[in-house]
Amino acid sequence: MEPLNLAVIVKLEPDFSEGNVSYKPDGTLNRNETKSTLGPHSGIAAKAAFYAKVKYGAKISVCSMGPPWADIALQQAQQTCDADVLHLYSDRIFAGADTLATAETLKTGIEKMQGKMDIVFSGHRASDGETGQTGPQTAWKLGFTFIGNVISYDVNLEKRTVVAKCLLTLNGVPNVIEEIEAPLPVFLTIDPSYKSNFTTVSQRIAFEKYQKEAYERARNFKQSLKVFNIDELGVDKTLVGLAGSPTIVYQVERIPKGKATRQAEVFDGSNSEHIRKVVAKMREALSAMVIK
Amino acid sequence: MTEENYRHVYVVIEHIDGKLLPVSLEMLGEARRLFDDFNARYSSNEKIVAVILGNNIKDFSKELIEYGADAVVCADHPELKDLRNTIHTKVISQIALDKEIASRIEPDYAKEFKKPRYIFFAADSIGRHLSSTVLVELESGLASDINKLVIHDMTVTHQIKTEGKPTLFKKTLEMYRPDFSGFLWTTILCLNNTTPSIKREYYPQGCSIIPGVFEPIKPDPKRSGEIIFYEPKIDENDLKVKVLSHKIVKSEVDFEIRKAVVSFGRGIKDAPDENIKLVVELAKQLDAEIGISLPISKKLLPASQAISSTYMIPARVIGTSGSKISPMLYVAIGISGAMQHIAGMQDSEFVVAINPDENSPIKNECDIFINGRMEDVIPLLVEELKKQQQVVQAG
Repeated sequence: MEPLNLAVIVKLEPDFSEGNVSYKPDGTLNRNETKSTLGPHSGIAAKAAFYAKVKYGAKISVCSMGPPWADIALQQAQQTCDADVLHLYSDRIFAGADTLATAETLKTGIEKMQGKMDIVFSGHRASDGETGQTGPQTAWKLGFTFIGNVISYDVNLEKRTVVAKCLLTLNGVPNVIEEIEAPLPVFLTIDPSYKSNFTTVSQRIAFEKYQKEAYERARNFKQSLKVFNIDELGVDKTLVGLAGSPTIVYQVERIPKGKATRQAEVFDGSNSEHIRKVVAKMREALSAMVIK
Repeated sequence: MTEENYRHVYVVIEHIDGKLLPVSLEMLGEARRLFDDFNARYSSNEKIVAVILGNNIKDFSKELIEYGADAVVCADHPELKDLRNTIHTKVISQIALDKEIASRIEPDYAKEFKKPRYIFFAADSIGRHLSSTVLVELESGLASDINKLVIHDMTVTHQIKTEGKPTLFKKTLEMYRPDFSGFLWTTILCLNNTTPSIKREYYPQGCSIIPGVFEPIKPDPKRSGEIIFYEPKIDENDLKVKVLSHKIVKSEVDFEIRKAVVSFGRGIKDAPDENIKLVVELAKQLDAEIGISLPISKKLLPASQAISSTYMIPARVIGTSGSKISPMLYVAIGISGAMQHIAGMQDSEFVVAINPDENSPIKNECDIFINGRMEDVIPLLVEELKKQQQVVQAG
């Protein structure tokens, strides 16, 4: 049986964790003061790939499109999934790409990787804007079966199929969990509630072994890293970057504050008489007869 | 090619377990408002085309017309019973490019029709992915998670797209997307290709629409429309993908059965575990369900595994990206009041906010504003609630 060949797509994003993120007084992100890191959803995608490595044995390649300093996202992902290969697609021409153009770059990169991919993973969405299109769009360009919202999965190595559990969150109706079976190759986007289920002792031993290896590799991550500019990648220039993007960001504006819908009565939180009044009003609100 | 070759708005309808999802009717409502205005302004007669795929779904057609569709394209087929991305993407794309369908929708333009002018999807677990793959197949642009739409002629100057020259783009769909903070709006445009050497046409202009944002129109049983049955072409090879099971899961969070909801936001940050415990205590006293603001669900604040997996989960989010609620009492703790949160709670009967910053937008959305830190205020509230409760019991 051939080992699995896996790829993970990751993204460098602003670090929204407390202490690293900086907001302007008006509540918007201060990008200059905010550090960058591996996006949290990308991290979950890397975790999902690591699951297959531990359970079935696999070769993992991680790739990203971004500025030269996005290599730290690849390093962090390597530490999570013990990747063998890191690819960074970095060129000024890629800048300003919308998701369609980004998908073209990533697809070209993945097709350039050694061997045919069995599973490609990506995060649910990016936390700083991209809303989950890049994964499915790359999948479609690759011609892989796309399965989204994956909360767990397993591979049948003999049949060369995957069975994935997917969580559908819908408005106005209860959530749904579906189990989908598909022949490899597949493209999975990983839901934030994804869990790896390691059950056997041998899996736990493998987990620890690869984790140690991952730590060592990530320390010397430049040895696994290859950076591609547009010519090295060999992608059609009219299909990437701004030129290949049907959409543009036309403007960014502050969302106008809504008119005050209620007239607030202000109370002092340290005044016990105020607190007594507030509680009385809260109780009144709860006991009111509401005819709807 | 002129923009006249691209016509109508196609709205991809979602349904599950025999029910139309509310967002489907919301999208039709917004399409109706946009197109009544569009057709008046441009003296045209472009249509709202509802596209629905599934098995035994013919009965939905009438309802879709009552809610604003001019035409319904219905692909009713046993193999479309389950949602499989590859098959659904191909069938939607077939429908979008089908001239026969276009000729039924608007016979006068049957010859000219190339592609839909606009296409709408829902921004949920189904539509987000389908919109992505369909727009790759149709080779055009997509803006996701939209909550405002405007159509007009725009002159755009763009260094690359128009080589720096002011260029008129007729009937452009301005797609507004609120950013992650809820304070900024990004306008996204899908502009047709103007470079003659590149043979591409960026139509339809695609978007996915956040559920709960737009109102459906009042259904009108007298409205009439064209119902078109489409026989999908399904590739044998795509049938290898199988949906093995489909289970409805009951959420552990239920806002509907409680009279009160207590929510917290980033204001817990100084001591997440301790502060969430305070919130839980207050909720217990009020017999309230616990909600959160969107940023909390991103798990960026350090909290213990037990606390975070119980309280910092997407199912608790109040707002356009979560639940829209209308309890008798809503308590917002350490929530600044971004628009996307307000949209989820503004129908509450009575709103109390606890916040140390009197300038936060939440002050305009509450009946009582308690000025103070939650660490100080909540214990006092809890104590007072217990006291007043006892008085009632004694009396």
